[in-house]
Amino acid sequence: MMVRVLFVILVWLGVAPAVAQTGPLRIEITEGVIEPLPVAIPDLVAETARSVQMGQQIARVIAADLTGTGLFREVPSSAFISQINDFSAAVQYADWKAINAQALVTGAVRVQGGQVRVQFRVYDVFSGAELGDGLQFVGASDGWRRIAHKVADAVYSRITGEGGYFDSRVVFVSESGPKSERRKRLAVMDYDGANVQYLTDSDAIVLAPRFSANGDRVLYTSYETGFPRIYVLDVGSVQRKVLESQQGTMSFAPRFAPDGRTVVYSLSQGSNTDIYSMNIASGATSRLTRAPSIETAPSFSPDGARIVYESDRSGTQQLYVMPANGGEARRISFGDGRYGTPVWSPRGDLIAFTKQSKGRFHIGVMRNDGSEERLLTASFLDEGPSWSPNGRVIMFTRETQGVAGRSTLYSVDITGRNLRPVRTPEGGSDPSWGPLQP
Amino acid sequence: MNTGLIISGIGHASLIGWVLFGGAFQSEPLPFEVTEVSMISSDAFEALLTTGPQPDTVTEVVLPAAPTVDLDPVATSQPDQTIATDAPQVSPEPVSEIVPAKSPSPVPPVPEGIDTAPVALQPQDFATLVPDVGARPIPRPSERVAPLAVAPPPPEALPDPVERDQVTQQDEAETPAQEQETTAPQEAATEIVTEAEEPSGALRSSLRPPSRRPAPPTRTVETPDPPAAAATQAVVNDALREALGGTAPDVPLGPPLSAGEKDALRVAVSVCWNVGSLSSEALLTTVTVGFDMSRKGRPVVSTMRMISSSGGSAAGAKQAYETARRAIIRCTGQNGYQLPIEKYDQWKQIEITFNPERMRIK
Amino acid sequence: MKLKTSIVMLSAVLSLVACTDPNRFDNLDGAGSGLFGRGADGSGLGSASDPASAAYFQQAVGDRVLFLVDQSSLTVAARATLDWQAEWLLTNTDYTAVIEGHADEQGTREYNLALGARRADAARAYLVSKGVPSGRLQVLSYGKERPTEVCSQETCYAKNRRAVTVLTAGLSG
Repeated sequence: MMVRVLFVILVWLGVAPAVAQTGPLRIEITEGVIEPLPVAIPDLVAETARSVQMGQQIARVIAADLTGTGLFREVPSSAFISQINDFSAAVQYADWKAINAQALVTGAVRVQGGQVRVQFRVYDVFSGAELGDGLQFVGASDGWRRIAHKVADAVYSRITGEGGYFDSRVVFVSESGPKSERRKRLAVMDYDGANVQYLTDSDAIVLAPRFSANGDRVLYTSYETGFPRIYVLDVGSVQRKVLESQQGTMSFAPRFAPDGRTVVYSLSQGSNTDIYSMNIASGATSRLTRAPSIETAPSFSPDGARIVYESDRSGTQQLYVMPANGGEARRISFGDGRYGTPVWSPRGDLIAFTKQSKGRFHIGVMRNDGSEERLLTASFLDEGPSWSPNGRVIMFTRETQGVAGRSTLYSVDITGRNLRPVRTPEGGSDPSWGPLQP
Repeated sequence: MNTGLIISGIGHASLIGWVLFGGAFQSEPLPFEVTEVSMISSDAFEALLTTGPQPDTVTEVVLPAAPTVDLDPVATSQPDQTIATDAPQVSPEPVSEIVPAKSPSPVPPVPEGIDTAPVALQPQDFATLVPDVGARPIPRPSERVAPLAVAPPPPEALPDPVERDQVTQQDEAETPAQEQETTAPQEAATEIVTEAEEPSGALRSSLRPPSRRPAPPTRTVETPDPPAAAATQAVVNDALREALGGTAPDVPLGPPLSAGEKDALRVAVSVCWNVGSLSSEALLTTVTVGFDMSRKGRPVVSTMRMISSSGGSAAGAKQAYETARRAIIRCTGQNGYQLPIEKYDQWKQIEITFNPERMRIK
Repeated sequence: MKLKTSIVMLSAVLSLVACTDPNRFDNLDGAGSGLFGRGADGSGLGSASDPASAAYFQQAVGDRVLFLVDQSSLTVAARATLDWQAEWLLTNTDYTAVIEGHADEQGTREYNLALGARRADAARAYLVSKGVPSGRLQVLSYGKERPTEVCSQETCYAKNRRAVTVLTAGLSG
């Protein structure tokens, strides 16, 4: 009997401490969801009667920018319970929670003279508070799209923490005509396809334009002398100048260094193609690779210290990294297939490339040392990736096959999601994404 | 009458009778199945498979490419030459003297004037009874990625983590029902599928489908009760808890929360934890959020704070914290989190660690 | 009498000399448009029956050689064609040539430019080895920009992988 009582007491003592936990409950969550965030973007409040249409247009551009990233989903205005009629009034969070809008963007616009002024605020609906401070932009009425893009950039940054990329331009080749006789000319446009402006005519073949780091100049290859040569064009004045015109050679695939003072490019002499660099101001050139194989498509790292390029010295096209002034190269591509057109991300963490394997073309990304290779697209012919200013989106060329084949620009998120075409007036190829505009 | 006549008559009659009716007494041999295998062309083989009913699954099942059967043209015109199958490998029986010169290899011999050359049947000629499993099943691409795959919802349903059917106000109802729209969890895949990966099911070639259709995949993602997935662990824990005498209600602090209940809370919050809009910086950051809970299972927003963070920068931590906070608040739902009230002291203060490491790889 | 006969004979000879068409070389400048991607077409190149004309070079001698996938090495058939080209060029010394290299569309833009250059240079080096002065030859690459066949299949790709010798009239050396 005593033993039994003792036993029960012992069990009791043993159990009680285990039961008497008073610290907070701790759990760990490792799995979440990935889904577009619902955001409500009502028309901007018009401060004058003339501003009503502008308020609607700007809201539409902001909505298109945000939903175009694939990270946001717009809550349709037909679902709104309360309206935003006063920019300074308090927000009825319950009304927005009810329609499951997790973020709310409100704004006010005033058009006066040739100027437009936009104010906006971003709200985190479920936390019931404003996200960051309100901001204001002023600009010429003609540039209202740029202001809308700047607002969208700010909203995007506050919610995702990423830098924006909407207020940027893309230079590309606009194509027309049959496949055997393509007419090509240089064009520049807003990243979403608006405001297209042509920089050359179609008399000579032009290829692969590339923006400088601050977006003031474009390097490209042209056949206007009969032979491919590299040119630099000033975007503001649309004036161009040939850079490399040595007789008996062909030059192509030029790219700016991040400081904009040096250009790296490929030179074909006889049967050999190698990589050279040139100081634009002085014209002095230096040879960076010295191999009987084809070395081409060089691209600088964002810190200007290294160059990634493609070479077929191993028998097939592969990617190599070398110091910016030439030197020993290290191969970084090892998969099954051929790798080309490498481009370093502006964040410096990834290299995008074109891969050919089993008769298909892919756009892919890999780390700077070649690890974690991921393919993002697959089709008959994808090539020539270019990075958005925040290093999250890649734009590239996709061609279809056959007589009626044409080129279209496409963009894709680096996760491989949100593959979508970019609308251009005619066919488009060889895009180069410029920087965020100041 | 003459005895002999009678005997003879009986004998004759029985003989005639046996001849006429004797067959009726014989029992038929037990019926058994004979599978006759005949040579069919590859097209007919493919047609055979596609006419069967397809199983109702979410993933695509790729039908097998019909193996090209290299048939000796002469052999097909002689169906009586078919060899009954009990073994896939059949050694060719030489019909004429000339054939033994050829080695009985699986490759059908080139006809060289031998009009009855048998064909060595390749193993693939017969219906593959073993499913060919692909390297890795890849789900169909979907806009939403979640731990549990969800089939596409009905078109009129608004997206919501909780599935609700449309409830309209009934005038005669005694208890007025709350008006609700049809909601269903959004379609989801378990991982991001890029264009470079083609969706494929686990099977490359399938068995003849069974006559009974398999059950459709479950739809509900959030349940207040412990989900079945954690059932085994929960059962074990429950058993242990009871063994420790945890059912005694007069213990003031209450028994510890079972793993099932903790899991329920974990799942409930994770459904709203949307990492899709996190920057790459924030995806490197693990944050711990602490807050108090009211008795009704609703988090007290004013007590929410970031307790710690690791990895990533300060900006990334801020982003990650805000997303975590949003997740906790959003999934509170109408009735708060479903936690047992008798164990309230166990969960009146909660710390949740959000670790996006596994979400990065998706 | 003897003087009259000599004068008549002399003037007859002189008039015959003037029978060549002074505009003969003007038409051949059409071949120069090949530099701008039009390729040498048959018009204005003289008749193909004239063994000294560029049309004859194009059609009878063969102005192009084809290559295998990813290759810039000359096949046996290519060498044979280039032998004839060399012979023709050595005979008709008042032509220079631009050798245009091309690639099929199954590759990236820059690499195909370099590959076209390699192919053109392979043909050039062979012609030089057969005695054609290198000063008469130039190399140009179009990469995959000017395909002749656009069906996007191997039958078309094979025809696009080529090096074309385009003649330009002009003083040699």
